Amino acid sequence: MSKTNPPFMSGVPELLLLRLLQQQEMYGYELVRSIKDATGEAISLGEGVIYPVLHGLERSGSLKSKRKKVAGRTRVYYSLTAVGRKRLQQLAGDWRRIQGGVAAALNEEAYA
Amino acid sequence: MPRLDTASLNRRLYEAGIATRHIKRTITELEDHFEDLVAEQTGAGLVIRDAEQAALQRLGTTDDLVAAMRLQPELRCWGFRYPRIARVLYPLAIVAMLPALPVVAAVEHAPQIARWGFCLLVGGAVTATMMLALRFTILFG
Repeated sequence: MSKTNPPFMSGVPELLLLRLLQQQEMYGYELVRSIKDATGEAISLGEGVIYPVLHGLERSGSLKSKRKKVAGRTRVYYSLTAVGRKRLQQLAGDWRRIQGGVAAALNEEAYA
Repeated sequence: MPRLDTASLNRRLYEAGIATRHIKRTITELEDHFEDLVAEQTGAGLVIRDAEQAALQRLGTTDDLVAAMRLQPELRCWGFRYPRIARVLYPLAIVAMLPALPVVAAVEHAPQIARWGFCLLVGGAVTATMMLALRFTILFG
């Protein structure tokens, strides 16, 4: 599958990560798998780029992390904070507004 | 055998001004992710070499990773985020630290300094004994 066009992806990984972490805490690989499952593999990224986004969200207070030892390996698990929940609401609202606008524009073109 | 080039990634991220703690953690997480991907691929029937190659492709290139880190300015170290302030404060901090450096160095290298001090003391004592012996030999010999 080809990689998703990066300019169209602005803010999308952030929104997806916050949405998935709203349900339960997860680590990087688990999050990537969940994104693929949740989006029906419509969104395909270089999987490593998830970590800068996670670190950025943690720095802004939207996420918190903790290390867990699992089968002899230390994994960093991320979970949502109260700030993250507010950020998720805001991003989801923005996304629905944009999605509605684009859908309306596409429908208009279809009837033109 | 294809492996994650952590040395190159570490250098590139350091040059991009990313804070050391984020570099270390990112590399640890990427290595863990790589192992998970290899396990997934071998579980799907690939031989280890192909599994590692596929895992590397899925992780993305070093360029992609560095570019993604650059997009998060808050991950940069203090000196890169506020370069003007850093240019003023860093030299002042170095000047302020100069008097403390010998003390810090002494504390840091206390065992070596103690060893050298002891050797000098023993050397001095031996030399003094020989000089004294020579002196007695001259006087009473």
